[in-house]
Amino acid sequence: MHRRGGGIDAVLLETDDLTRSFGGIRAVDHLAMTIARGELRCLIGPNGAGKSTFFSLLTGLHKPDAGRVLFKGEDITYLPPFLRVRRGLSLKFQNVRIYRELTVRQHLLVAGTSNRDVEGRNGQVGWALHTLGLDRELERLARELPHSSQQWLEICLALATGPDLLLLDEPTAGMTPEETAVTAEFVVRLNSQGMTVIVVEHDMAFVRHIARQITVMHYGRVFAEGTLAEIESNQDVRRIYLGEQ
Amino acid sequence: MRVRSGDVWRMVNGPQELGTSPAFWTAAAVCAAGLLFYPLVGSTFALSSLASFLLFAPMGLGLGLLWGYNGVLSFGQAAFFGTAGYVYGLIAGNLVSLPAGTLLAAAGGIAAAIVLAGAFGYFVFYGQVSGWIIPLLTLVLSLILETFMAQTAGYQWRIGRVLFGGYNGMTNIPSLTIGPITLGGASTPFYYLAVALAMLTYLGLRLLVNSRYGHIVVAILDDPERTRMLGHHVDAIQVQVFMLAAALAGVSGVLYVSWGNYMSPSNIGLLAATLPVIWTAVGGRRSLLAVFLSVIALRWLADSLAVWGGAYAFLVLGGLLLATMLFFPTGIVVALAHAGRRWTSRARMRATRTSVESKEH
Amino acid sequence: MTLPYVINLLYQFADNVAFLLLAALGLMIILGVLDVINLAHGELIMLGAYITTLSYNEMHLPLPVCVLLSVIGVALFGLVLERTVIRRFYRDKLGALVATWGISLILSQGVLILFGPSLVSVPLPQWTVGYGGYAFGGYRLMLFGVAVLVVWLAWWIFYRTRLGVWTRATMQNPEMAQALGISTSRIYMLTFAAGSALAGLTGALYAPTTTIVPLMGTTFVDVAFITVVVGGGTNPIVGALTSSAFLALISTPLSSVLGTFIGRIGLLIASLVIIRFLPRGFSGYLRDAGRRRMGRGLVS
Repeated sequence: MHRRGGGIDAVLLETDDLTRSFGGIRAVDHLAMTIARGELRCLIGPNGAGKSTFFSLLTGLHKPDAGRVLFKGEDITYLPPFLRVRRGLSLKFQNVRIYRELTVRQHLLVAGTSNRDVEGRNGQVGWALHTLGLDRELERLARELPHSSQQWLEICLALATGPDLLLLDEPTAGMTPEETAVTAEFVVRLNSQGMTVIVVEHDMAFVRHIARQITVMHYGRVFAEGTLAEIESNQDVRRIYLGEQ
Repeated sequence: MRVRSGDVWRMVNGPQELGTSPAFWTAAAVCAAGLLFYPLVGSTFALSSLASFLLFAPMGLGLGLLWGYNGVLSFGQAAFFGTAGYVYGLIAGNLVSLPAGTLLAAAGGIAAAIVLAGAFGYFVFYGQVSGWIIPLLTLVLSLILETFMAQTAGYQWRIGRVLFGGYNGMTNIPSLTIGPITLGGASTPFYYLAVALAMLTYLGLRLLVNSRYGHIVVAILDDPERTRMLGHHVDAIQVQVFMLAAALAGVSGVLYVSWGNYMSPSNIGLLAATLPVIWTAVGGRRSLLAVFLSVIALRWLADSLAVWGGAYAFLVLGGLLLATMLFFPTGIVVALAHAGRRWTSRARMRATRTSVESKEH
Repeated sequence: MTLPYVINLLYQFADNVAFLLLAALGLMIILGVLDVINLAHGELIMLGAYITTLSYNEMHLPLPVCVLLSVIGVALFGLVLERTVIRRFYRDKLGALVATWGISLILSQGVLILFGPSLVSVPLPQWTVGYGGYAFGGYRLMLFGVAVLVVWLAWWIFYRTRLGVWTRATMQNPEMAQALGISTSRIYMLTFAAGSALAGLTGALYAPTTTIVPLMGTTFVDVAFITVVVGGGTNPIVGALTSSAFLALISTPLSSVLGTFIGRIGLLIASLVIIRFLPRGFSGYLRDAGRRRMGRGLVS
């Protein structure tokens, strides 16, 4: 785990004994995780490992059965989602959830980006829109965009709230290898600008491109943690991906 | 936030509403001019009638915003209409001697509607209830309010020197007075007030729906959870929109008592609660223009049918409502507008095709 | 606090519960199964009352036969309604609401035009039971018995018959039910007819107790809607029972001390408070609580 410098803000996010069940299944099981400011963490694991549930507990869309979520030192376990967003925590949903009747520009309006930033490529969102090619599509209805552009729009919307911590849930789902590479490069550059990012991903090409700290989840718990090399050579990790014996 | 006049115009003429072309605005200007010059040619009776249609525009437009743009079906507009009217009557009736008495009364009436809406809205929206609960509870609110006012006959039901009046209603409510001008029912000043408020409400709401706030409102209708994840306090915003609609209903209520000097439980009850819903559904709730036209047209229709008896009016309106829901779910005016748009775009394509073909020869 | 006073309170409580149950159950069953709010429910009750009153006054049939005619008549009407209008709004709850509101206007105004502002009521059977200085209406006690019977019948059909299983399957997962060979379309039709029949029954039974006017439905839906909101659409029977018992618990002392009207205001306020904290109503809350107790989480 990296710790950049000292000071109270070194740890951005901390979960403590986080637990949540759905209909008899423990989706998240006494999970403890620490994310430092400036980290780029990949969260991987087989299907059903609890990654998306974990995100929903972080954002407040679900309440945990037990445990705590600490963000910038504050206990936000029971804080409503919109307040967490205002505190600097932002999510790109797993599914594309764009507004059916709104254009790209109108989406950004709802997310709070001023026209000046959009037009002038100012600020993080302006830069993101330009890098991902969305500044050419401002007047199009978002639902008419190709799937990858919709995913990229989702990321821009998550950035538009000015977060300290960005949660990306499967940002490359449905993307071609080229688009995946673009997304990976974008995330790396975003992180180099200081954004703390947690990415849930299945696509190992993407994970390799990012090649930072990786957490493997399994049955709602942290199964393994380490660098890409450590994880890839970990026999237990291979086993859970290929099926328990 | 500095807003330039160009921005304002862009927002009024924005895409969230029908009618953005120069042709539309020309037509609108002509109609507005017509309304403004009508007193020169119209009889006092015709003026009073038209004013009585126009005064309902704010109430209808409020529901158009609430239901069409935020997806909240409320039968409560009549309740807020009546609350404002009764409170106005109570205050104005007791403050007749004060020069600004009626203006205070108007503010009080509208404030009462807003407070009632805020209290009601808090329970409903902060609970994040299913959509069907609001129509039911607002309907119950209207029914209960009507029942309450209906049994306030008798001398003990009064505040100061103003009697509630029970089933027969509150009478002799003083009209709004601004300085020396009394804005009574059959007067030209009242007519202009009704026209002004109707147009202001329409333009103001056009501005609102195209603003950032308006887009957030529409986003909440589409996907409230997603909108929460963009940092918006969705529950609070929904209460605000509900209160705004109630305030507009209150404006109509104050105008109504100024026009008729009278407010009764029948202005709150079942049938009254239905009317705004019929106006917005039949015209097309997602368009402020459609609602506006619908209010005028249906008020005129109900007035004409009233000669045959109120039952026939509501029978026709009920049938119209059912027919609209079955065949024109987006509303009749909106359906016509979309059909018109398709026809003109098809005509334009045909024209370009023929010109291209003629060029090729 | 004498015994007769307590008995009187209990009687009023039972009377209120019966009224709420009978007024709301049909609506709740339709909501639970079809996910549709029938705003014409009050007018269906009114139709039931009118059929009974007219057949009693004009055709001089015995009261039980008149009630039966009401039940059958309104059920058939509901059937027609479902086939022609309701089924176009299966996916559109608010649309069904507005469309049925249009129908309710047509019905109430139509009846007003056809039959005038009021009818002569059916005389109330005088089965008074005296006790300790209080007089209890035997007819209204019978209505309580009917309410209990009706709820038991609904429970029996839901949980003890094959039709009930199919209906519950349709409620929980219509696509799956169809895949299993259940004709969900027929279930919806039957359920709507049953809900209408209940409305007709309510109108018929309460006809001797009230004035017969075209807008009489509103006195029923006033409280029926509150009962539905508090009960929730998750489980119609549990919802109807818990909701009517709870609401009667509030309205009985209130109306007994401060009058019927304050009783109704109390119900509206109670429903607002409940909905703020239990947005899915009692039946929704009880289902979730039951899941938690079994050590499971909530289904997302």
